[in-house]
Amino acid sequence: MADQPVSSGISVLRLRSLSKTFPGTRALSDVSLDVHQGEVHALMGQNGSGKSTLIKILAGYYHADHGAQAWLDDAPVALGVVAASRHDRLRFVHQDLGLILELSAMDNLALLGGFARRPGRIDWAQQRRTTEAMLSRFGADIDVRRPLTEATPVQRTIVAIAAALAGWEGGRGVLVLDEPTAVLPHTEVERLLQIVRELRRSGSSVLYVSHRLDEIFQIADRVTVLRDGSVAATTEVAGLTRNSLAELMVGSAVNADYRAGSRTGGDGEVVLRGRGLRARYLAGVDVELRAGEVLGIAGLPGSGMEELPHLLAGEAPDGPAAGEVQLPGSSAAWWSVGDTRRPRLPIVPADRGREGVIAEFTVAENLSLSVLGKLGCRGRLLKAAERELVDTWTRRVQIKAASTGAVVTSLSGGNQQKVVLARCLAAQAGVLVLSEPTAGVDIGTREAIYDLIAEQAAAGLAVVVSSTDAGDLVAMCHRVLVLGRGTVVAQLEGNDISERAMMSVLGTGEH
Amino acid sequence: MTTDSTAHPTHAPTGGEPPAAAPELTARTLRATFGFGNIGAIWVLLLQIVLFSVWLPDVFPTAATAKQILNSNAGIALAALALVVPLTARVFDLSFAYTMSLSGVTVAYLMVHTGMGLPAAIGIALLAALLVGVINAIVVVVLGVESLIGTLGTGSIIQALITFVTKDISITDDRLTGSFTSIGQTDVGGIVLPVFYAVLAAAATWYVLEHTATGRRLYAAGFNADAARLAGVRVERLRFLSLIASSLIAGFAGIVLASNLGSGSPTAGTPYLLPAFAAVFLGATQFKHGRFNAWGTLTAVLMLGTGLTGLALGSAPPWASNMFTGVVLIAALASSGVQRRTRLRGRRAP
Repeated sequence: MADQPVSSGISVLRLRSLSKTFPGTRALSDVSLDVHQGEVHALMGQNGSGKSTLIKILAGYYHADHGAQAWLDDAPVALGVVAASRHDRLRFVHQDLGLILELSAMDNLALLGGFARRPGRIDWAQQRRTTEAMLSRFGADIDVRRPLTEATPVQRTIVAIAAALAGWEGGRGVLVLDEPTAVLPHTEVERLLQIVRELRRSGSSVLYVSHRLDEIFQIADRVTVLRDGSVAATTEVAGLTRNSLAELMVGSAVNADYRAGSRTGGDGEVVLRGRGLRARYLAGVDVELRAGEVLGIAGLPGSGMEELPHLLAGEAPDGPAAGEVQLPGSSAAWWSVGDTRRPRLPIVPADRGREGVIAEFTVAENLSLSVLGKLGCRGRLLKAAERELVDTWTRRVQIKAASTGAVVTSLSGGNQQKVVLARCLAAQAGVLVLSEPTAGVDIGTREAIYDLIAEQAAAGLAVVVSSTDAGDLVAMCHRVLVLGRGTVVAQLEGNDISERAMMSVLGTGEH
Repeated sequence: MTTDSTAHPTHAPTGGEPPAAAPELTARTLRATFGFGNIGAIWVLLLQIVLFSVWLPDVFPTAATAKQILNSNAGIALAALALVVPLTARVFDLSFAYTMSLSGVTVAYLMVHTGMGLPAAIGIALLAALLVGVINAIVVVVLGVESLIGTLGTGSIIQALITFVTKDISITDDRLTGSFTSIGQTDVGGIVLPVFYAVLAAAATWYVLEHTATGRRLYAAGFNADAARLAGVRVERLRFLSLIASSLIAGFAGIVLASNLGSGSPTAGTPYLLPAFAAVFLGATQFKHGRFNAWGTLTAVLMLGTGLTGLALGSAPPWASNMFTGVVLIAALASSGVQRRTRLRGRRAP
């Protein structure tokens, strides 16, 4: 289906037979993609669908599996080579923008495009004029000599786009925008879309990665939907409705009827309360969690859904934060969220590589880390007790490893996640916090995790789970709080929890 | 140099196979255990012994030379062991060398200028070292100064105080002979006491790192502080304590060194700064696949010491010893860097 061009446009970028296999998971499987000249081509898909892997291969960060082919204007391009990312016809604005915020717009642009020079030194006056000319095209009104930390998010995005387009005179090429609106306030999204339209008018093509349905209908000509690493469809946006696009994204990858455990839970005691929780994005959220309940947190990036689990788990916040948390199971005291003395709750963090596993440790060492205190006798670590604990949890969570003495990074992403999960469960705190529990996890492991959580909840464990993957929440939760602009905008319960319901709250662009 | 990767399969089966049984004793595991990648320093040590014995058959392969190597490297071994615990938690303590000078000078000063008895002087010197550790910990952990810079600063201040008190003159006196010198100069069968101190300190460090929960947490804090923190490890507290531990061991090493010298030299510790770091980093490439560890550190001290002693006995040119240390250090760390990259491949998987 992907091979058939839907419009008669001329392809600027063509990809064929693109696959990518990581140890244990197949992130992309036989993907084909055509981006026509002068079109905005949307690339959509849920988390884990392979969007970011595809972009990273285009950018030269990953090698593609053998057999992949790519052409730019009929000239073959080597994939997975960093040099290709500097290709004249293929430019990138990554989600984190790739800017050095401590430097000014002028310095950031010059780092990529080179400085204007006079013999022996930089011609600052000329440099400033060049920078202002580059930015004025996009109507950015900023002092190019001030550090970007002082600029607004949309101004930074504009600088990043200008930097990506530096020296791109012909305009016949593809600009890849990876989730450009993820951190933009709603009011500034329209400005960004204007810029994208302006690029299209000038004859450039844009590969626009996003998971906001509304934007796609506003801006894209065609859309390619990825699902579980394969192309679910490439089609004209005009022929789609919100529902049919959502359908394409969700598909039947995770059985839509899959429900782990019962739909009701939580007649138990309250084990966790939060009130007036505020942080960078959170603007006052109250939470109550009962024993045996699985509570979901839904929301787009920037809604506060990434912050809430960390605040509840007791991690000292980076920036200013306010609010109080109570753990009625241990004491009636209300702890301020910044109080380092409050008891911590085990958390499975979203960024497994950076905050979850300790890459140098073995499976066993990773697993036992949070319960070492219980494995000893007067400070001595009893290796036999550790082995028993590790064996028990390896079996219970079904970790597949050559041996528990193997380095944890030798495992697949899904099994690494199970190790982190086992570590948290082994702590037996009565409450468990999960942040993006299925990010980078294959389907089989995903359902295993759902089942495990359901089983633990039935045994009385209280769980908070935040996920950008609506499928997670549908499969696991008894109740879901949908966050938008830092507050709870909807609460779904029992059978009302569906991807459709969440998408219609999330995708309206009100956040 | 990739032999050790065989001990850790980079691609574990992730299909439907049940977890494999414990690895059997095969040629691969033998190679992983005794291969160059795991105990390279021991192979280099043996090679040196052979080479120097062929080159200097009369002076090198003798009991006297062996004892001399042990005796002359005990100080470096103690100094290097002081660094193992903080480095495990990824904290650099550059001030340890100045703490060594401080404690030695303190004991000598108190005994000579106040007539204080030996045990009391030692107690006060160790208290001074403890104080340095607390100050380091406050600078690094509480104030959040990068440890490399923070301890460079505190080291500088310690040296200033030492120079202020001693006017940069070594403290020597008859009162420093007798019981004081016996701490470092007493020998048992030709081997001086500091060698035994070093072995004891290594054993204690090994026990803490390998057989206590604290040791495991220290490694976790050093490898990935964020992950350790989320797993409930009190990273800041461990870093605090590790700086105190290094200062105390350095303080003890300084007393032993002063006793060995029979004087309180204001710059006694500084020559140990770089060799101690070299030994600890070299030691981390041994036995434990990149983890700082006590026995690896001792092995590295012995290996470097043997090379330097051999070169000295063979009247090698004066540049040879520094050249030797530099080449060995870079070769060892580069080859283990290659191993680590090989072993951690696949880390980029999502």
